Amino acid sequence: MLTEVKNQWKVTMLSIKYALQREMLNKVTFFSNIIFMMLNNACFIVQWIILYSLKNEVGGYSFKQILLLWGIAAGTFGVSHFFFKESYELSETINTGKLDAFLIQPKNVLLSCITSSVEVSCIGDMIYGWIMLFIYGFTLKNALLFAFFCITGGFILTSVAVIFASLSFWFGRVEIVANTINSLMTNFATYPEGIFKGFVKILFYTILPIGIVNFLPIQLLKDFNFSTFLIIIGVTILFIAVAFFLFYKGLKRYSSSNLMNVRV
Amino acid sequence: MKTKIRKKGVISLAVITVEHLSKNFKVKLKEKGLKGSIKSIIKPNYKIIKAVKDISFNIEKGEMVAFIGPNGAGKSTSIKMMTGILYPDKGEIRILGLDPKTQRKKLAYEIGCVFGQKEQLWTHLTPYDNFKFFGAIYDLPSSHVEKKIQEFIELFELEDFINTPVRNLSLGQRIRCEIVASLIHEPKVLFLDEPTIGLDPVVKENIRVLIKRMNKEYKTTVVLTSHDVSDIEKLCKRVIIVNKGQIVLDDSMENLKYHYLNKKIVEAKMKEAVNLEDQEGITILKDKGYNLKMEVDIKKKSIADAIKLLNPDNIVDINISNIPLEQIISSIYKDGEQE
Repeated sequence: MLTEVKNQWKVTMLSIKYALQREMLNKVTFFSNIIFMMLNNACFIVQWIILYSLKNEVGGYSFKQILLLWGIAAGTFGVSHFFFKESYELSETINTGKLDAFLIQPKNVLLSCITSSVEVSCIGDMIYGWIMLFIYGFTLKNALLFAFFCITGGFILTSVAVIFASLSFWFGRVEIVANTINSLMTNFATYPEGIFKGFVKILFYTILPIGIVNFLPIQLLKDFNFSTFLIIIGVTILFIAVAFFLFYKGLKRYSSSNLMNVRV
Repeated sequence: MKTKIRKKGVISLAVITVEHLSKNFKVKLKEKGLKGSIKSIIKPNYKIIKAVKDISFNIEKGEMVAFIGPNGAGKSTSIKMMTGILYPDKGEIRILGLDPKTQRKKLAYEIGCVFGQKEQLWTHLTPYDNFKFFGAIYDLPSSHVEKKIQEFIELFELEDFINTPVRNLSLGQRIRCEIVASLIHEPKVLFLDEPTIGLDPVVKENIRVLIKRMNKEYKTTVVLTSHDVSDIEKLCKRVIIVNKGQIVLDDSMENLKYHYLNKKIVEAKMKEAVNLEDQEGITILKDKGYNLKMEVDIKKKSIADAIKLLNPDNIVDINISNIPLEQIISSIYKDGEQE
């Protein structure tokens, strides 16, 4: 079992390394993608600067907390889209029969598939996240917690993408639904928790777990609480388990296809 | 690992056993136009397509078997079920004693697959790096992979492009690397789904040599699907023909030719024009006065009798040949469709 995990880890890392090498073929595109993504994120902060020049607090967050929220949102997005980019293309992969190549390999189909390419611009997101943490206040404790929450959040975002994409096994083309959910997870992640009430808040702590990915880490970085920390770990494991369960349940219904395709 | 099959009192070692295999696909029907699209959303109609219907066969160790059929016959679906890509609806499959449905990962270590239409290699990497990657996928130690690559370079003549990125290789070199990559873990069974698709005749011949060499050197069992009859004729000693999801013929290449080659093609160049018409045992295929091409059914009319009709003194040149295998296979496909 341990050897199997070790081998899977080795192949996953090799796959990410090769995918990164592919993106590095063009130096200009590689670096400009990263830099422009950071600039893109920075542009959104302008509206908050204007808002905080009028108010000291929005939705219970100070300006520094908003920066941290952007840092967490960018960091989690970066981890998910960089390491598991193909989870966002999974619906198409299922519908066009591209899973065949992964099914004939003696490795975990889902992991092999979702780590088969990387999104270079997301390196910019990850760097941007760390810059925001530095502005918020860098301590060893904050850095460790931030890194940990970027990973748990990245895993949850990926799991949500896999869960909705796996519906393709039953309903065919669900890209629009899956993309909408993924966009919601990103768009609402950059607003302070206090502005959401009632049903929306329930959604954010259940099927659209923005609260677990973004809001709880903000709370913990301000005021660490062990039980909340455990909740984040528990929910992350739950989402990963549901994603794997649904994917493998659906895989039995996979119908492949005879479309021609190339691994590029 | 191998399954013992008792067939007509003989025990054979089958590496592939397929029994009563069936697979259906549910396809949504749509009437034409926008109205049809709206109707299919409100009240969808489905059609069940029986892609594979109750097929059974065994393949023994070291055999090279052609698994062929027209488009949509169910051959790719069958191969995908044998490799663990698709789940069968009914029936049993054992590849080296393993069930692809429940032991996909274990099976993947034992088999290799090449889908001519779907490339598995990373195009920005060299064949060398790709082989290293495939070695890691199959948990092979680095030193072993290195040894294997050196062996393949010599055996399959890869030295000229082993360090060239795959995207810069010709299609033939690329397919050759695809096949070699699928051999890195020394599979006992190799599934080749149209490996020569889109290749020129010279490259096709190279690929065939490679497959033959691999079968000879490593005793690999090969299941080959191809629409190219030359692939089948030159590589396989046994043919399984599938049509409309069913096996319509499972026989040796020798028997196939023997049973279906009771017709000969006679092409003759004449001094004077002859006017021959179709008669029992003779079908005129082409009559251009001085050049005549006819099909002779030797069960009904001997070649000698056919030549007598032409008047031997009138013949300038004559060529008697068998019906091309391609035509035989097409007629088997058509017979299957008529049934």
